[in-house]
Amino acid sequence: MMILGKLLLGVIGLALATFIGGFISGLDRKITARMQSRFGPPLAQPFYDVLKLWGKAPMAVNAWLVLCAYLTLMASALSVFLFFAQSDLLLIFFVMTIGAVFQVMGALSVNSPFSHVGAQRELLQMFTYEPLIILVIIGIAMHTGSFSIASIYALDTPLLYSMPFLYVALGIAFTIKLRKSPFDISASHHGHQEIVRGVLTEYTGRQLAMLEVAHWLDVVLLLGLCSLFWSTSAIGLFLLLAVTYFAELFVDNVSARLTWGWMIKRALGPGVALAMVNLLWLYAIK
Amino acid sequence: MLDFLLGLCILFPIAAGGTIFFAKDKSLQKNIVVLTGGVLAAASLLLITYVPTQTTPDSGLASFLHVPIIVCDFLLLAVIFVIGLRRMSTAVMALAGLQLAGMVMLKFFWHGEAATPLPVFTVDSLAIVMVLVISILGSAIAYYADSYMREHEAHLGLSQSRRNRFFAIILVFLGAMNALSLADDLSWMFFFWEITTLCSYLLIEHDGTTEAKTNALNALVINMLGGAAFMFALLFLQRTTGTLSLTALMHIKMAGELKTAMLMIPMVALCIAGFTKSAQIPFQSWLCGAMVAPTPVSALLHSSTMVKAGVYLILRLAPLYEGTTISSMVAVCGSFTFFAAAALAAGQSNGKRILAYSTISNLGLIIACAGINTTASIAAGIMLLVFHAISKGLLFLCVGSIEQKIGSRDIEDMRGLFAVMPRTALITCFAILTMMLPPFGMLLAKWMALESAIDARAAMPAIVAMLALGSGLTVLFWARWAGIMLGSATTKLVVAKEKQDPDMALVLRGLAYTAGIVSLLAPIVYMGLALPAAGSSTTAAGHVNPTAIYAIYPIYFLVAVGFRYAWKEAQKAEDMAPSLPYMSGIQAEQNGEVGFIGPMKTFVPAQSGNYYLESFFGESRLTKPVNLVGLVLLVMLLGGVLQ
Repeated sequence: MMILGKLLLGVIGLALATFIGGFISGLDRKITARMQSRFGPPLAQPFYDVLKLWGKAPMAVNAWLVLCAYLTLMASALSVFLFFAQSDLLLIFFVMTIGAVFQVMGALSVNSPFSHVGAQRELLQMFTYEPLIILVIIGIAMHTGSFSIASIYALDTPLLYSMPFLYVALGIAFTIKLRKSPFDISASHHGHQEIVRGVLTEYTGRQLAMLEVAHWLDVVLLLGLCSLFWSTSAIGLFLLLAVTYFAELFVDNVSARLTWGWMIKRALGPGVALAMVNLLWLYAIK
Repeated sequence: MLDFLLGLCILFPIAAGGTIFFAKDKSLQKNIVVLTGGVLAAASLLLITYVPTQTTPDSGLASFLHVPIIVCDFLLLAVIFVIGLRRMSTAVMALAGLQLAGMVMLKFFWHGEAATPLPVFTVDSLAIVMVLVISILGSAIAYYADSYMREHEAHLGLSQSRRNRFFAIILVFLGAMNALSLADDLSWMFFFWEITTLCSYLLIEHDGTTEAKTNALNALVINMLGGAAFMFALLFLQRTTGTLSLTALMHIKMAGELKTAMLMIPMVALCIAGFTKSAQIPFQSWLCGAMVAPTPVSALLHSSTMVKAGVYLILRLAPLYEGTTISSMVAVCGSFTFFAAAALAAGQSNGKRILAYSTISNLGLIIACAGINTTASIAAGIMLLVFHAISKGLLFLCVGSIEQKIGSRDIEDMRGLFAVMPRTALITCFAILTMMLPPFGMLLAKWMALESAIDARAAMPAIVAMLALGSGLTVLFWARWAGIMLGSATTKLVVAKEKQDPDMALVLRGLAYTAGIVSLLAPIVYMGLALPAAGSSTTAAGHVNPTAIYAIYPIYFLVAVGFRYAWKEAQKAEDMAPSLPYMSGIQAEQNGEVGFIGPMKTFVPAQSGNYYLESFFGESRLTKPVNLVGLVLLVMLLGGVLQ
């Protein structure tokens, strides 16, 4: 029964996550627009976009790209499903990697310089955020003694109290995964910049729609990871997520796109350092 | 029956090697290779039914081998000494001389009489894992080598075939590897250990070029260094405990009769021997140099033999150094190599060098697992050993086939390989995915390794940080290789058929299926082999979650269904309107190449290259500091004895 309940929770979570992800994306665009003194699109605009992309005449550069788009979406969906089914945190992370890898492989399978540059940069972004997320997960496991999400919900005090630096590290990873400035290195926000849309350049129509939905799901998954840091009360959880996401938007709007070299030196280095300080701290009190 | 099976695993390939040396006929050579492979595979599978057993010295095989091994021990070291003399290498001569002197001490002056008869061979889960990997994968590689060497020798234009020498060494190598995995007596293990050193030397210099000779000598020196450490450990153990039997040493450790330091000094020496054989930093240069050998040799050295002997020894000894500073230092050394070798791999465009550094990196992870030293971590290490052997063997054979076809092993030259060698490109891609993504075995093992790392006794934050960074780098260098090989400009998923030697194609396909199927059986491998092998050796349990591993089955199911659906959808791409990649201008296609119309209306093909990040991961930049850190860690490992 417990397993069935968890599976059901996973399915419901996945369905909800798709909607919530889309609305977060809409909210993102709205708030960004207001920060830039624009009115901005309606809240449901991301859904309109995806539906419009879905309805485009099918077109493809090669078959691999189509395959990779499907696999990317499926992996993202599976990781969100596993998250809501309260599975093992590292497993969820590794399943998320499947999606990221196939997206890059699709971009590399097309002989297009823009797509290739984007793919190479996306790989560097992955290299930057992956270790940070792994360290966060290990920190959680050190604290709760288990890698399962269920054990976090058994805590009395929010994780944030004992893992503040790891939360900052997660925030860095989040910004990179979201490709927000200064880390919109692999796919610029706007198609008219020097790498066009980077890793996304060659995905069109349905493929692009699928990647867009996959991105929503990734955002929900990462917000889910953040939510684990305040698992004790719904209000606290909501506030933490709201503050975190607003901070993401703020950083996005006040910074310019920087280079991958800068990212490795200034994001990975300090991120790992912060995580290590926190891990040592957890280690000392264990 | 047990003696007979052990004989088949150990003596049969050695005898077959001796026969093949005198067989000049190519088809006869092939038949001997096939026969040996079949016998090895069957014997190793039958041997599973005997787990766990031990043979006593009065068993037929043991008493039969007793004297020949002593004689051959001296002969072997003498041969290596002569090689040193002929190559005018004082290092080899000195190391062989030292070991000879040690051998004289051990056999004539310090040999003690054991009070109770001790086992000679141990057939336990850990040994059987090794024997299966060696016998089955090793045989598959030998079979592949038959076709490969035909092409290879035709390419070199040799007047006289050297195939007989090549296959003789390979078969002896397999027998020696089986023997060292099964040996309970460390002095026997030492003998077979040194045979593998000699065999790898002979295989690396097989092509006889100057580079091959130099690199072979380097490999010999480094491995003899490890051999000398091994010999030192033998002498020390014989002097202090009076026994070289692993079983007896386990009893001594359990009973706590000996001061820890007395046991730790030889343990450190044996770990260093393992590090040299497994090419751990700072000893990695020999394995990178070994690539000059024909590719099946690399496949053999990297996947099922040689380097696996090092990690096997370290895993085997894990219970003896459990709970000590040495153990923690082994974990730190291993995780450092995991990280540093992954960084070195990220800076490479030479396919074989990427594979070599990735091997070193993964061996580091296995050693880290041994050092963390809980049941869970050792089981993870054993899983890594198995899955790495399959996938890495397959990858080397793929690169061998690719190199014979396109004449390059640089991954930049493998762009769009799918159009040239569709099947091999797909298999290579698949092999790469099995190295880094769930639900394949390597990743499951890495998952277990990471989870067990939080139980590390000391230095846990440092260990996990290096493991985290290393896994990030692993994804980086694998994904870009897999991606560029798929490069294609058609909307067809499967294009032309590929012409390939049927035997080579068979091995590539067979290994690809093996990688998939064994991954599917991962929970059974874990519960049936890895966990018993680890459980028999250690007391600290750590994060063992027997049910968690079965939870992977629904994920297999979902991934399989999802992949099938995605594949069907991708096949429909054929009916979609084809388009050309965006080029910021007038895109065009010429002779299957895409590009754009440039000035003067000329066609400019699109070109791009991978980021190899020389400024971060270049070999010239990293090697020195990495070796320095490796050396410092090694000194710290030595210092662990003082604890």
